[in-house]
Amino acid sequence: MTATALDPLIHEPARLRILATLAALPEVGDSLSFTRLQQMLELTAGNLITHVRKLEDAGYLTSEKTGSGTSSRTSIGLTVHGRSALKDYAAALRDLLGGL
Amino acid sequence: MNGNPEGRQAATADTPGGFDPREAAQLLERTSREAGRQFSLASPLLNALSGAVLLVAYGALWLSVRGQSPYTGPNLGVIALVYTAVAVVIAASTKVYQRAMAGISGTSVRLRAAEGVAILVSFVGGSPVIQGALKEYGASATIVYGVIPAAAPLIIVGTTAAGIAATREAWPLLASSLTVVAAGIVAAFVGPVAAWLVAGIGLCIGMVVYPATEVALRRGLVASA
Repeated sequence: MTATALDPLIHEPARLRILATLAALPEVGDSLSFTRLQQMLELTAGNLITHVRKLEDAGYLTSEKTGSGTSSRTSIGLTVHGRSALKDYAAALRDLLGGL
Repeated sequence: MNGNPEGRQAATADTPGGFDPREAAQLLERTSREAGRQFSLASPLLNALSGAVLLVAYGALWLSVRGQSPYTGPNLGVIALVYTAVAVVIAASTKVYQRAMAGISGTSVRLRAAEGVAILVSFVGGSPVIQGALKEYGASATIVYGVIPAAAPLIIVGTTAAGIAATREAWPLLASSLTVVAAGIVAAFVGPVAAWLVAGIGLCIGMVVYPATEVALRRGLVASA
């Protein structure tokens, strides 16, 4: 197996950290506020938005905005597809490193 | 999102160059561990302090009933001290809960709320109801104000917590809860005076068992990886 077998969308440091953090939420079906995710990952808002959009476009994440104005809140959660993709990515990494 | 300046960092959104799979594996492991730690409701320090506070409170109960003949039960001042200690432990645990759950919405928030209600009902309703019924049917003060209030809360709340822990495969909580239940069972058979001391020691050990099991599991997982 080669590095090309790794999902290119996940095989990027910031996106990998986003998915790993959301996968560590206590229960399947949980979501995390954009603000806390940003604090945990120490990314700028713009950088995080860009990565979240890419993952959302691929169906790995869902985001939901509630409220409006200053009280608005965006929550981001991992989809079943995203969880499965991360699992496959981790398995591919293990296979790849095991073969080295 | 949240009114943040979109695209400000778009140019840096993709890391140029290759991303070594070894680094990726380390980053994945490190991020998962760190996120798990931040979402964890357990705090070893809080558990140790809570254990110490409960041991002191139950120790005071034991001292207040030691040498009583006939047995009349702990005095109100000491009971107030115990309730204060329990309130302090609950307040500190709530703080840890709020910090861990900040920004999280969805399933776990609803589950934790339901579990909290179950624990609260078992704590508030369990032992007092049994004490009231036993008093109604003429049981002695030794039973009503000694054995039951010392042992029953540990057994009732402990089994409730153990049930919750088992359903969500929370092994540290299960180990801690079963320790408390075991202490409650022992307390029920050592007499009204020693029951308080056994309960205090059991609660203290139960509090320490939680982080100890968590550490043991983590080491076991690392060793098997």
